[in-house]
Amino acid sequence: MASIEESGGGGHKKGAGVKKQARKDARVDMTPMVDLGFLLITFFIFTTTINSPKAFKLNVPDDTAKDDEQTEAKASGAFTVLLSKDNNVFYYEGQLASDGSNFKSSNFKEIRAEILKKKANTPEKDLVVIIKPDETSVYKNVVDMLDEMQIADIKRYAVVDIFPGEVELIKATQGSTAPPAGK
Amino acid sequence: MWNSAEIESLNQNFQVMSKLNKIARKSTWVDMTAFVDVSFLILTFFMLATKFKPPEVIKIDNPKSVSSDKVDDKDVFKVSFDAEGRVFISFSSDKDGKEKAQLTAEVLSRQKGLALTPAEISTFIKFSVGGIGVPVEKLKSFLALSDAEYKTYKQPGIPVQDSSNNQLDSYINALLTGTGGRKPANVMLNGDNGTKYPYFKNVLAAFKKNGIFSFKLITSLEGVPSGTPLYKKQNTPAK
Repeated sequence: MASIEESGGGGHKKGAGVKKQARKDARVDMTPMVDLGFLLITFFIFTTTINSPKAFKLNVPDDTAKDDEQTEAKASGAFTVLLSKDNNVFYYEGQLASDGSNFKSSNFKEIRAEILKKKANTPEKDLVVIIKPDETSVYKNVVDMLDEMQIADIKRYAVVDIFPGEVELIKATQGSTAPPAGK
Repeated sequence: MWNSAEIESLNQNFQVMSKLNKIARKSTWVDMTAFVDVSFLILTFFMLATKFKPPEVIKIDNPKSVSSDKVDDKDVFKVSFDAEGRVFISFSSDKDGKEKAQLTAEVLSRQKGLALTPAEISTFIKFSVGGIGVPVEKLKSFLALSDAEYKTYKQPGIPVQDSSNNQLDSYINALLTGTGGRKPANVMLNGDNGTKYPYFKNVLAAFKKNGIFSFKLITSLEGVPSGTPLYKKQNTPAK
């Protein structure tokens, strides 16, 4: 466009006019193009999403299965994790002692070591991790704990409803150590 | 295109220009070509590497997990629950998803005596992409909303609190009745970090009641901590 006008205009003008016209070079002003380019980039940055969500597979058992079809967990291989409010984690191995002596408090950082210790000390076919979230725990806690199962490569784990006795123990522990054990 | 006289005049112009350029003062003109190249390269990257955000009616902050499976976007039935415990259902916008949304609306209308008109059913399909979270009895009035009203309307969520009035069960039941027991290929749960566990439990209960036991939880990716069994497993070459 510019070059055609130049050559057309150049014919009519004389003297200094010719020189002026001739000095113009054929370069095109790219500034609006750059403006537009960056405008589009900004638009795409704001309207799109890069990190696509990932899927975490979860299979739950059929509760309606008959009692005799349910798999029985061997007490010695059981490791129970209780989830409570403020990301508190409690655990016990095997069966809960009647006096609650094997009921221990932990948190999400330390529980991994405990799970791995249990895994190392237990034959693989006996090991089962039982996750019991209480009413005050949040979805994140449950997913984090399921994620720990993936990380520790635990084959058998289950999410089970909490027993009233365990709720009492959690309450008692949280009550006695007023600031929750966040070591 | 060009006649010989014009070419001649152009040549003259160029000669004048080349002579002039030698003595002309330096131009302040900056060559933007490289700049344009880079900007369009970035633009192309963003266009290819990203996809548009789905319309967000529900604000959900997903938990993280080490799982790296991709999320399918075909034939999806998704149940979302936000931090307040509001529960929403949504279908994908592809053919299968739309078909299932339509069947759900039709069966629900029949089972609960809502008498939805075909126009309301098509609104249901449209809204179901973004998420529907109203109790069954409010569904008809909800479907009368316009697109703009839908975006600003605060949906109360599908009640799941107690087992006697777990309406998510009604929605899932309507879906499965409509498809004749054929389950959607991808049943997804999209939960917020802060959702209380009982809501999650009740959502699971509604699915279990209808014989769906396999889910995909939507999570965002986090790295596998080194030294853990999973890390070792992933980093040992397959035998």
